[in-house]
Amino acid sequence: MIKRRTMLKYIVKNRFYYAILFPAFAVVVFLTVYPVVQVVANSFYKYNFLSDERLFIGFKNFSSIISDDIFQTSFVNTIIFSFVGTLLEVGLGFALALLFYGKFFGRRPAMIIVIFPMMVSTMVVCSVWRTLYQFDIGLLNYLLKAAGLGPVGWLNNPHLALFSVILVDIWQWTPFAFIVLQAGLLSIQREVFEAASIDGAGYFRTVFSVTVPILWSQIVLVVLLRTIDTFRVFSKVYALTGGGPGNSTETVSFFIYREGFVYFNLGRASTASMYTLVVIALIAVVYIRQIMKEGDV
Amino acid sequence: MKNRFILSVLVLLLAPVFFVLASPQPEATGPVKLTIAGRDGVYGNAMQYATDEYTKGHPDVTFDVLKLPYNSQYEKVVIDMKSGTGSYDLIMIDDPNAPQFQKAGWLASLDGMLKSKGETLDPDFISAAVKLGRYPYADSGTLYALPHVGNVEMFAYRTDLFDKYGLAKPATWDDVLADAQKLKQMDPNVTPVGFRGVKGNPIVSGFLPIFWAFGANVLENNKATVDSPQALAALQYFLKLKAYAPQAVDTWNSAQVRDALYGGRLAMVTEVWPSWVGDLNNPDKSQVVGKVMVTAHPRETAPSSPVIGAWLLGIPKASKNQSAAFDFLMYVTGKDMQIQLADQFGIAPSRKSAFQDPGLLKKYPWFPGQEAALENARARARTNKWPEIETTFGTYLQLALIGQMSAQDALKTANEKIQEIIQ
Repeated sequence: MIKRRTMLKYIVKNRFYYAILFPAFAVVVFLTVYPVVQVVANSFYKYNFLSDERLFIGFKNFSSIISDDIFQTSFVNTIIFSFVGTLLEVGLGFALALLFYGKFFGRRPAMIIVIFPMMVSTMVVCSVWRTLYQFDIGLLNYLLKAAGLGPVGWLNNPHLALFSVILVDIWQWTPFAFIVLQAGLLSIQREVFEAASIDGAGYFRTVFSVTVPILWSQIVLVVLLRTIDTFRVFSKVYALTGGGPGNSTETVSFFIYREGFVYFNLGRASTASMYTLVVIALIAVVYIRQIMKEGDV
Repeated sequence: MKNRFILSVLVLLLAPVFFVLASPQPEATGPVKLTIAGRDGVYGNAMQYATDEYTKGHPDVTFDVLKLPYNSQYEKVVIDMKSGTGSYDLIMIDDPNAPQFQKAGWLASLDGMLKSKGETLDPDFISAAVKLGRYPYADSGTLYALPHVGNVEMFAYRTDLFDKYGLAKPATWDDVLADAQKLKQMDPNVTPVGFRGVKGNPIVSGFLPIFWAFGANVLENNKATVDSPQALAALQYFLKLKAYAPQAVDTWNSAQVRDALYGGRLAMVTEVWPSWVGDLNNPDKSQVVGKVMVTAHPRETAPSSPVIGAWLLGIPKASKNQSAAFDFLMYVTGKDMQIQLADQFGIAPSRKSAFQDPGLLKKYPWFPGQEAALENARARARTNKWPEIETTFGTYLQLALIGQMSAQDALKTANEKIQEIIQ
């Protein structure tokens, strides 16, 4: 009671600041909270945007979607995409950060080339890779043929297509991990590495026992940002494979898109979004806990 | 008393404003800008040409032609129609999606507009194409859209190769398979057959002429029937044909089919649309000038079944420029513009007179066959659930095509899912 009264007093005292903050706060609430509430509400309805059919069906959407074979495949594909993509992007980004920490001839132009993919629009990236992956006239198969090997169905082999899409994501977003980790690496005092060297630590020992622990918070940050981003992958699937061949590159975002914007089944699309929201919220909780732990130290 | 007085004054002051807002808005007079939700590519270029020509004769009418990719155009139009904002004055509609628009009452009736202008629908239009713009789907249905592009799916084969190897024009789908086998043995430089294998609309469009020719149907009496014995025979045939198609046919869409046909790499194409073959006899773009015959599909147990795929033009009910839009609609679907669009952009006409134009007949020798195919073409199921049905059917067809499901299982699962959709 006393706490509430103190809080009220604080608000009254700072009413001017609260007043000028209110419009921005209202916009944020309208643009973020309202759509989420709408999605939550729609997920309990059989709701078709075209026919205006809106019927409360409780948890039926949740059970029908979870038992839908295409949603199941989409979910598994999304997990694979997110896990493999994030792992390799962060791993390669870290390796590049270590490489560029040293001095070598052509370091600056090389850095521009390395970060270039991140600056290109995803649709352009996909067009380029789609051409490279082309079965009959693509560069990759041309090189394989020149090396005496058979062509590979990069996008038409159902066992390979998902990894071909992941490879494009790795190519585009490894530079992001690289930039963040390199910034962290540059903030470490050189004396730390010199001390490790004097203590007899070799290169790899220094990397795993000194660099990684110091950079841990940045690594966690990149892992979580990339996990969230890869979990929502849509444009690469849309532009490269359309979810095919078969359902081999279907992802949850693509499933939601189709339900929402091709069939206009907003109820089912909202339910699938709820599942995604739960997973992303769990990832965000891990991240927030990690940040708070860092703050406690 | 004082409050009542203030209230009365307010009512008197606001009444004119209310009446102005509530009364129907008269159409804008003077300069008009029409916004068209159109397609990209050749359709967009053709529409741009038509609007530019129209503005020359009607300087007070200008246009904003939106050239949108298929999915994006559909999404944008549906959202606008539903919200009734009237952002568009004319919309292009792919015919399988027309029932959604017609059933929802989003389009203005063209019958009423024709009547108010003292006109009747020109009998020169091919009736099968006009029928797609009517709701209910019958000759007596209300007219909501006119066919701007009289697309019909056709079959193409290389006459030079067929002559060289002594093969006759395939009359049945069994002939196509037999010819593909022979061509594979006789000519290793050419792929016997090509079609679109991408899941969803492409594979379904390519498969339907085979499916129908085997006597199968997607829906019968509002029941899914894609698991019938006829459907299974059709799919098993399709899988046999795949052995003679390019290895990556599962990822082939219209661009790949067209490029391979123009490049002389295919002996037969089971699915060509008029807009794909417009430059077939243009030596700047084609390596097979005069060597390809475009014709109606072969038959099998049922007669040849060309798929109609017209692009319709309709006027949204919410458009604020309906009269100006109607005038342009009559112009763009008129005989003269149909001939110009066919000549310059390869746009398939929807009028008999355009098909019989001597200049066009010289340029497109397959026009008599195309006209006959259009007259006898079959429409996809007239249901507002077609996009969902097509995507589902196309997904399982492709799963069978890439060998991840047997033909029987794919059709059985597709049938169950389609039944759920239509219920």
